[in-house]
Amino acid sequence: MMLGGAFIKDRRTPVYLGIGGLLAILAACAVELKTGRPLLVIDVKDMLHANSFNLTFIMVALGCTLLYFLLNGRDFEKVGPHVSEYFALIFFILCGVSIVATFNTLLMLFLGIEIISIPLYILTGSDKRNLKSNEAALKYFLMGSFSTGIMLLGIAFMYGGNVMGTFFINNMNLGSGPMPALIGVGLVLLMVSMSFKVSAAPFHFWTPDVYDGAPTVFTSFMASIVKVASFFAFVRLFESAFGTLQSQWQTLVAVITAATLIIGNLTAVFQQSVKRMLAYSSIAQAGFMLLALFALNDTAKEGLVLYAAAYSLATIGLFAVLVKMKDYTVDGFNGLSKQQPLLALTVTIFLLSLTGIPLTAGFQAKFYMLWAAIQNGHHFWLVILAVLCAAISAYYYFRIIQAMYFRENSETVMNEWDITPSFKYLLLITAVLIIVLGIFPNLVIDWLHY
Amino acid sequence: MSITEILFWFLTAMALGSAIMVITSRSPVHSVLWLIVTFFAISGHYIMMNAQFLAIVNIIVYAGAIMVLFLFVVMLMNLNAESEPQKNRMLQFAGLLAGGCLFLVILASLMKATETSSMVQLGSGNEGLIKNLGKALFNDYVIPFEISSVLFLSAMIGAVLIGKKEKAEHDGN
Repeated sequence: MMLGGAFIKDRRTPVYLGIGGLLAILAACAVELKTGRPLLVIDVKDMLHANSFNLTFIMVALGCTLLYFLLNGRDFEKVGPHVSEYFALIFFILCGVSIVATFNTLLMLFLGIEIISIPLYILTGSDKRNLKSNEAALKYFLMGSFSTGIMLLGIAFMYGGNVMGTFFINNMNLGSGPMPALIGVGLVLLMVSMSFKVSAAPFHFWTPDVYDGAPTVFTSFMASIVKVASFFAFVRLFESAFGTLQSQWQTLVAVITAATLIIGNLTAVFQQSVKRMLAYSSIAQAGFMLLALFALNDTAKEGLVLYAAAYSLATIGLFAVLVKMKDYTVDGFNGLSKQQPLLALTVTIFLLSLTGIPLTAGFQAKFYMLWAAIQNGHHFWLVILAVLCAAISAYYYFRIIQAMYFRENSETVMNEWDITPSFKYLLLITAVLIIVLGIFPNLVIDWLHY
Repeated sequence: MSITEILFWFLTAMALGSAIMVITSRSPVHSVLWLIVTFFAISGHYIMMNAQFLAIVNIIVYAGAIMVLFLFVVMLMNLNAESEPQKNRMLQFAGLLAGGCLFLVILASLMKATETSSMVQLGSGNEGLIKNLGKALFNDYVIPFEISSVLFLSAMIGAVLIGKKEKAEHDGN
């Protein structure tokens, strides 16, 4: 059931072939989920394992990527001449995403994370003329390889520490007693490196620089699908391997979550550039997704899939608009509602969803997360903190809405909009999807129970 | 003390000592040379654990190829004391603190570890031999093996993408 293998063929293709391949894989995934029978059976020696939860997640990721291609496919040309290579790299990343979604051994986790990271370093630096892009790529590469090293060290400790001497996360049999020393070290090292990958505080320092420096089209992909996939790997790893030890690492996760929520939200308030603000807001959203790791129950799993869909859709939509803007500061949005009423409307919906206003998908996702944390029963203060932080986030999201609707564009320089009608319709579809998911979250969650 | 034990402690001391020399030597070229010594000591350990293939690959790939590449880069960069950026005292101190904390945590947890396995494996065990390694690689571990080809392919494409000369008409992109 090697879903990843299918992606490799799609190298060196123009946009349409990319979209076509994606549709084919999406269809294969859906068929497998519905009928429970894969189209293509490959003996993977139990190293990859797919159940309805994983497949639903892969489908969400693929669906979001499809939307991403449709919205941004033509903007790739602005970055540089090697459009087909960019597509190839994104397909490699997707291959990595499906590996980290289905991995069953630490070996595959490592490979998946690396397949995601290495193309990302390249995409970050793909705007070769731009010094900021170069700087971001170098920073990301250095920090990223360092965290990979920490992860490998952690995996080595896990391998040496568990009685069975195995990489398989289900067979480690760690029990629920006090941890052996080696396991403890391995667990903390793995937690550190995964927190780095999902940019949780205090390992978040690379995020603003990298998101800001990378070409905006690729930031969109990085901030949405890749981030969510890393989260999925994080939760899967800690659920399968360390689930029985939860009481021992839960407080640590609670502290990381709290730090992520506070730092992400408070720093986002002070940002002038919308792109940078979105980078901090993605840290803040990561805090919410960490609640799933903290709670680790069925509600949390449902919530994570829903959060993945809601967050990715809103982020992709928002960045797609941002790509078209000339001025990335908040003032750049002044008077948008006069020039492009439809665009302003969709941006408003995306922002409302990120804030978590009822009737949007973001609200349902946040609701599921908080509910999962309450069900868990420990550390109730974390829930209160999360709600407070959601309130803070309203401030900086609403600032953009206010700029769009209530401020005049003081400058006479108008943005030249190269927007096709199809782009507008796609944005509208994205926004409608967010609202539909907000009203009927079961549309996604029901897939889990096939 | 048997000869293998003497060898073990000798190799250990060599690995640790040369690793410390790598980070303390002033000249980067010396650092690289010390690193080669470290690799050789570790290869010695591999041989004592009866993993010949790993030992040879370690020497050929790391001590041979990668280190030569390192040396070339260091020489081409033409580093000298004047061009080095000023180091901030506070930063050095913070780095020391952070590294020390990590070291302490790992050390503390390892102090409690009681599992001691045999330090050498002589004449027994044949898992490190090429034949068995190949069998394991293409039977049990064929999926990771194939998947890593995707990883290398993406790295290759990336290298080409970054190294390629941009054409003039794409100026300003």
